[in-house]
Amino acid sequence: MFERLQGMQARLNETPHLQRLGRLFSETVLLSVDGDEYYLSFDKGRLVQVMPGPSRKTPYRFGLITDAAALDEFWQPLPRPGFHDIFGLVKLGRAQISGDILVLVKNLRFFKEFMALPRPSGVEARA
Amino acid sequence: MSIEPIIGRYVGVDIAGTPQRIYFEEAGQGRPVLCLHTAGADTRQWRHLMNDAAITAENRLIAFDMPWHGKSLPPEGFETEEYLLTTETYVATVLAVAKALGLDRPVLAGCSMGGRIALQLAALHPAAFSGFIAIEASDFQPAWYDIDWFHRPDAHGGEMGAALVSANISPYAPEAERWNTLWMFMSSGPGVFRGDLSFYTGDDSLIGRLGQIDTARTPVHIIVGAYDLTCTPEDARRTAGAIPGATLAVMDQLGHFPMSEHPAGFRPFFVEALAKMPESSASAA
Repeated sequence: MFERLQGMQARLNETPHLQRLGRLFSETVLLSVDGDEYYLSFDKGRLVQVMPGPSRKTPYRFGLITDAAALDEFWQPLPRPGFHDIFGLVKLGRAQISGDILVLVKNLRFFKEFMALPRPSGVEARA
Repeated sequence: MSIEPIIGRYVGVDIAGTPQRIYFEEAGQGRPVLCLHTAGADTRQWRHLMNDAAITAENRLIAFDMPWHGKSLPPEGFETEEYLLTTETYVATVLAVAKALGLDRPVLAGCSMGGRIALQLAALHPAAFSGFIAIEASDFQPAWYDIDWFHRPDAHGGEMGAALVSANISPYAPEAERWNTLWMFMSSGPGVFRGDLSFYTGDDSLIGRLGQIDTARTPVHIIVGAYDLTCTPEDARRTAGAIPGATLAVMDQLGHFPMSEHPAGFRPFFVEALAKMPESSASAA
């Protein structure tokens, strides 16, 4: 997962429209996958650090708690219903959102598109 | 270059004592089909079907922007008013527009909150319509989000609303139509999506009325997309099961805005629904 997140970091930082959407987003986000913690530090839309946990002293603004199998489904080119969106994972009981959800909602398009970066685009998926 | 056959005009109506200038579009001839948009959006959701020559050869599709939506202005004095849609106002609006346009027992086709009100009208005013196509429609869903997120001074409610409802769009939707669908939410007026959701997530009065619907007189066909997180196939199935004689179709590759997000995928389901409706108002009398 750490390598996957590093790949997402590189891809985010070379995606201009996400840089623009995230220009006011400078927060730390907790991603918990099968109990393994990763603290993602964003600065003005760039992911500047991916720090593996566990950590009891790293403050984070909001967290997404899920499992690896759910993320594998989420990252399929054409995910099954519910696995196509982070709120779908929540509805399926495969994810939880913790912390300041309003900050997530204010930056929802940015964060959703960041999380979906490993998913092949629609064009690639249909090729 | 091509000029589309859709014609847009305005009609003035009085709704519960309030004058409203309503924008409506139409295309086609024959059986009238009155189409209702979803929350936070407008008539543009129906443009693909209105541009479908095979459908409009025998059906006159009419869609209108609810007050506060699209090209229908809010009422005079809106600047001090909190927009909160109610079942009563919504019912009165649909009836007033149908009457003002002189529609003779149209088929009523509504999506999401439009589907909800179509079922309310099936229960409360069946004589005004010949049949009901309720898309992404169910008896009731409480909000799984805070509707106040979408109307606040420190953030853009439309952009947040669009980011939220993208959860209801199928990954099979063509990218261009996904974003056209989301654009309508992005560009809705301040507080409008919230005010629509107030109705959609707060009024459960339909539950007790479903048994009143007489499908022998006015057929009810419910269509639901598997990627709809808001009105799930389970929600639609429960609702259809509570209406004796109602029929249901599940679209495996579509979401909550099927006519807008994936027009080609939705078309056969809409054609099937139209085939279940009376040929004309006379035959349903």
